[in-house]
Amino acid sequence: MQAPNAALAAALPAIVGRFDVALSETKTDTNISVAPQHLRNLVAELKEHYKLQFDFLRNIAGVDYGEEGMAVKYQLYSFRHGHTVQVTVATATGHPVVPSIAALYPAADWHEREAAEMFGFVFEGHPNPKNLLLEEDLHIHPLLKAHPLQKVEILQGIEDGPPGFKF
Amino acid sequence: MSVWPEERLLTSDAEFDTVDMTINIGPQHPATHGVFRMVLTVDGEVVVDCEPYIGYLHRGLEKLSENADYRQAMGWWDRTDYLAGMACEFAYCSAVEKLAGIEVPERAEYIRVMMTELSRINSHFMFLGAFGADVGSFGTSFIYAWRERERIYDLFEEVSGDRMFPTYFRVGGVTMDLPENFEARCRWLLGSIRQGIEDLDGLLTGNEIFVERCRGLAPLTTERAIALGCTGPILRSTGLPWDLRKAEPYGVYDRLKFDIPTGRQGDVFDRYFVRLSEMYQSAKIVEQCLDEMPKSGLVLNPALPKTLRIDNAECYIRQEGTKGEYGVYAIARGGTQPYRMKLRSPSFCNLSALREMVVGSYVADAIIILGSLDIVLGEVDK
Repeated sequence: MQAPNAALAAALPAIVGRFDVALSETKTDTNISVAPQHLRNLVAELKEHYKLQFDFLRNIAGVDYGEEGMAVKYQLYSFRHGHTVQVTVATATGHPVVPSIAALYPAADWHEREAAEMFGFVFEGHPNPKNLLLEEDLHIHPLLKAHPLQKVEILQGIEDGPPGFKF
Repeated sequence: MSVWPEERLLTSDAEFDTVDMTINIGPQHPATHGVFRMVLTVDGEVVVDCEPYIGYLHRGLEKLSENADYRQAMGWWDRTDYLAGMACEFAYCSAVEKLAGIEVPERAEYIRVMMTELSRINSHFMFLGAFGADVGSFGTSFIYAWRERERIYDLFEEVSGDRMFPTYFRVGGVTMDLPENFEARCRWLLGSIRQGIEDLDGLLTGNEIFVERCRGLAPLTTERAIALGCTGPILRSTGLPWDLRKAEPYGVYDRLKFDIPTGRQGDVFDRYFVRLSEMYQSAKIVEQCLDEMPKSGLVLNPALPKTLRIDNAECYIRQEGTKGEYGVYAIARGGTQPYRMKLRSPSFCNLSALREMVVGSYVADAIIILGSLDIVLGEVDK
């Protein structure tokens, strides 16, 4: 399967060092951990720098680490060089504010909406921050670890379900 | 916003007073290929805005996966791209194998690739049939496509015991070996598939009305397709020969010879034709697998533990699904259940580009443009 790109890992520290990052390796890719306030500048640099040219946003995934906080993971790919990098933004729990990168990558639009509704992230500067997969006026965050797998949500003003109605 | 040539738009309506009208299409509508809803704002016949609504088929795949054993969760993943269940199983199993560092026997690798490619043919047949129906060859293309799909499903049933949701792959290989008469049946099936593709090719590509309808419709440049997150046949139709089977080979794809069909202008016709050409390549891959695969041997890694426990690990597995890049982002943090499983679904990302393609077109063309994206709602909604 895909091996982490050694050339990329060698070139990265000099280019992204000024954003106060930490580099590590996952099983498949190089990972860059960065603070939320540097995210937009870092991603812009990753996109523009001639040695990197990460022009394609593959994926955005939210993660809930429980008491250790939450994180947003971005996978970027460069068609020019054929390498992949993962950017991790660690945040606190609750409704953490993360800058939106939808202006840099239009593909981020729906990914960010999905992460926002599933985890409660607030993507600052998102053009259309509405629920995507869930009901529009439903403000629960099902992928948080604290959210139970089976739970009856009462919708549309019904105070109690029918007697004996359980999942 | 619109990428339409001037002469295809209606002329200026300076002499008329027009009022924009809203049309709701879906969620229960044959043209949306599932439970998908879009709200079109139209000015006469021209679409001026399009708002897609998804989530009607949301089943909480990721939450369910986090609450099941590594092996149990696989059954859910069949139901994402339900036209090509085996391709989804392949990605899921690869992710778990990557996390745990499990090897797969060589014969199983060939079987996996073969089943994935047959699934791809199956899914593209569905596209050809449904797309033909969208454009107007009412039932004929559907019936032609269904004949071959039934034969592929028959073979899947013989191999795995189920037609659409085979759950045939396992972490570390596949459930059971192929049936005895598999090779002869599969070779016969490939002949039948090739005949089926030729029939549809003649029916659709040979029809001037069809070609005129699709040529030059909603073209996309490579740069724009990349920016919008489009992958798979949609990206290749713009002229970029990017296919994860070649770009980042997995399984035994690096040993197989096949070409990447590309289009030139990324319009609806190119998307159709790229898929049609891909089916021939997939048939070629299956044939090579039949020739090259070890004739006997293990199909499941015998050294697997009874319960799979995986320590801290993280990976992003991406494979060329039938609709584009099918990615599985997985985190393990000890225990028998995945800590996080995220599906990067190609239909989801391709569909997010719909608005840009549809705005500026006619209402009737909007249906065709949606059809040309070849979405599967099980995958969009997770």
